[in-house]
Amino acid sequence: MNKDLKFVRNIGISAHIDSGKTTLTERILFYTQRIHAIHEVRGKDGVGATMDSMELERERGITIQSAATYCSWKDTSINIIDTPGHVDFTVEVERALRVLDGAVLVLCSVGGVQSQSITVDRQMTRYSVPRIAFINKCDRTGANPERVVRQLREKLNLNAIMLQIPIGLEADLDGVVDLITMEAVYFEGEQGRDIRRAEIPAHLLEQAKAKREEMLDAVSMFSDELMEAMLEEGDIPAELIHDAIRKGTLSLQLAPVMMGSAYKNKGVQELLDAVQMYLPCPTDVENIALDLDNNEAEVKVSNNTADPLVALAFKLEDGRYGQLTYVRTYQGEVRKGDFIINTRTGKKVKVGRLVRMHANEMEEIDEAGSGDIIALFGVECASGDTFCGGNINWSMTSMHIPAPVISLAIKPKDTKAQDNISKALNRFCKEDPTFKSFVDHETGETIISGMGELHLDVYIERMKREYKAEVEVGAPRVAYREAITQRAEFDYTHKKQTGGSGQFGRVAGYMEPLPEGNYEFVDDIVGGSIPREFISSCDKGFQASMDKGLLTGAPINGVRMVINDGSYHTVDSSDMAFQQAAKGAFKEAYRKAGAVIMEPIMKVAVEGPSEFQGSIMGSLNQRRGIIVGTSEEASYTVVEAEMPLSEMFGYSTVLRSLTQGKAEFSMEFAAYRQVPKGVAEQLIKDFEASKKN
Amino acid sequence: MGYEPLVKQNPLRVLKLTGNDKKMGLIMARAGLGKTALLVQIALDAILRGKRVLHISIGESLDKTKLWYDDMLHVILQECPVAKPHELIDMVRQHRMIMTFKVGGFDRERLAERLHDLIQQNIFTPDCVVIDGFDFAAADHAKLEDIRQLMDELKLQTWFSATSHRDDTRVSPSGVPAPCHEMDDLFETVALLKSYQDHIELEILRDNGAKAEGSSNLCLDPATMMVKQA
Repeated sequence: MNKDLKFVRNIGISAHIDSGKTTLTERILFYTQRIHAIHEVRGKDGVGATMDSMELERERGITIQSAATYCSWKDTSINIIDTPGHVDFTVEVERALRVLDGAVLVLCSVGGVQSQSITVDRQMTRYSVPRIAFINKCDRTGANPERVVRQLREKLNLNAIMLQIPIGLEADLDGVVDLITMEAVYFEGEQGRDIRRAEIPAHLLEQAKAKREEMLDAVSMFSDELMEAMLEEGDIPAELIHDAIRKGTLSLQLAPVMMGSAYKNKGVQELLDAVQMYLPCPTDVENIALDLDNNEAEVKVSNNTADPLVALAFKLEDGRYGQLTYVRTYQGEVRKGDFIINTRTGKKVKVGRLVRMHANEMEEIDEAGSGDIIALFGVECASGDTFCGGNINWSMTSMHIPAPVISLAIKPKDTKAQDNISKALNRFCKEDPTFKSFVDHETGETIISGMGELHLDVYIERMKREYKAEVEVGAPRVAYREAITQRAEFDYTHKKQTGGSGQFGRVAGYMEPLPEGNYEFVDDIVGGSIPREFISSCDKGFQASMDKGLLTGAPINGVRMVINDGSYHTVDSSDMAFQQAAKGAFKEAYRKAGAVIMEPIMKVAVEGPSEFQGSIMGSLNQRRGIIVGTSEEASYTVVEAEMPLSEMFGYSTVLRSLTQGKAEFSMEFAAYRQVPKGVAEQLIKDFEASKKN
Repeated sequence: MGYEPLVKQNPLRVLKLTGNDKKMGLIMARAGLGKTALLVQIALDAILRGKRVLHISIGESLDKTKLWYDDMLHVILQECPVAKPHELIDMVRQHRMIMTFKVGGFDRERLAERLHDLIQQNIFTPDCVVIDGFDFAAADHAKLEDIRQLMDELKLQTWFSATSHRDDTRVSPSGVPAPCHEMDDLFETVALLKSYQDHIELEILRDNGAKAEGSSNLCLDPATMMVKQA
């Protein structure tokens, strides 16, 4: 690992599912000599790609967890986080982006900018991650890099500038033309290891000249020197162009576009050069921490190795040797045997083993400097915790974590599975903040919840494979909410006299919808009609009532409770009595407050050939969806809709059969909205029936 | 629906938007004067009257078009607050559908196919269609007449936007500038946005299928792009 941070790159590789990013990572590892043989994602050798370390990932050919790996290219050390492509796992993408300084956005030259690329790009913008685009699969039938560049501009609003043009396309893809040096680049020898630079083929010369002009026009915006050189009309040194591209990329105002085919071993080394030249090193990026001793004031981390350590735990894994914690250091150094403090818990922990990760293999190291990505062994913490050294008490800004929208009941198949399930759930919850589990005390069932069907599906598979816990799975359940629509008054007295000391408490006031936020308690009591010590009891009673609505038992959202009157008894009033009174008052008012059931609405994007547009829209319409719009481009259409999550179960199968497998969809949570009357009635009926059983 | 005051107060009433299903209208202006803003206001007015609007955007993205609606609705709600703004926002969402096409990817056949898909499968039955970004320079009288015929058959009120150019001085007898000067007979209403030093005026060139007389007394607020009385 390089000590000079100028020669360190922490990058992510993000893309839409099946754009070939795992294949690309595999090639990068090969050319940087981290691995000595290439294994394809769904290869016949059955080994699977190196980065897909989990058995399940190899089987499905998708990458579920971001595995960190390290390699070096020329004189630069590169840490790569391979990020998942499916939208259900976006928390992984977000976590990876939080700790990265730059990223490579992989796009399929046929599919172009697909829905997941848009989601990922939005996340990159949120975390201000400079990126390079790599148009992959230029060897596929229908490859059209120019169209992809247009889409990058139109759909992602990126100032996408081609630095290369392809030499041939589809089956004739031979190499690329480097528009900076104006040379043809061919990838020859065994697995494209040897790079041959030659003259640009005559038939491409005019196109290359035009594209270079276009590129220089865009890039010169970032360098006065380059602009001057262009005006002088002499030779323009490549260094000037590289510097300008780097400036534009770092300021997020330019997205250089590279291209090739990872599978056919073309263009990968050039991409590595681009990573080295244009993506930021740790000192180029400003990272902010919150000073917990100073009212969470923002402080800039220094990147200086001599300063006290600040490191963020961004990912946990339970390995054979205990918990493995992936950490990004922002300043200071971490050494084997050091004591560091987890600022969330305030606990001091000793750094036992320190390793550098390479997919699922690891290399022992003694120390790691600022800006590095490494893993610690045996350190107890949760994902998102900050570790500090010295006397500082900082926390890296918290990550945006979406709330789960879907849940499943699981039941162990045998008693042995029971123990293993709890171990597994414990670990999954720690690793993935969007995955939650709890026991429903009324039914005794274990409920797991997450961001989508596939998300939960993967965890159930992992329980089976990694923990040998076979489970029976119930039907997926949507996380409904209840809400009120109008103001309602209450005046409730709780009174009990059953021998011994009695219970007495009266609360009066009103409840009303709270437009923003979940719950608010307002104390408008004057004249001491409820003594001060019992005000918090009322608040507690109301809050407890929010957990289960009366219509379907779902949690209630958005309620302001105001108390303005009440009475008490000097002997019989107690904390418990006022809590009970508040619960009674809540029920009384809730019945009058126009309670409704809310359901999660997902933003769904279905992409497919235009000939299926009618069927796609029809299928969404049948599922209570609102079609927001359609975008038609050449023979391809994207239908965007807002769909109730409850109607999307099994949609992938329906879509496959409707479109001969040519369309695909992605979805993400959009908002909670009121369910239609008919559906609400059915939900209430079901809830009533379940209570009787 | 409770939005009558919003409808009644709307200065766009001058364009006589109600009553004539088969009407075809045109908003013309030079680039950047507010054609899309005006089309979106016409669409929102229809939605407030309980109609369904299909917004066809040629050469513009879905998100950008959606943003136009969000912005205009935001301004409307600021100027004329309603009791339950969320209900109005929901209503707009349910009564509007956006279709975007690439420039050159839109023609009568494709429009017919898409409209039939929507109507026959009962996915979305529009009452009004706004077509923003139609390339009049590449169209001719026959092509536009074809589209008009389709919209007549489906009983759809249709509004187009067209960009005029400073250096093209051709105009029709009723004053409709190029590139629409040879097709103005196909429109019942043609309105032109004209830029002056400190304001943008809405001039009605054709009304009820004939040359219009007198001024509309409407202008566009340059800050909000909302139509208001001059």
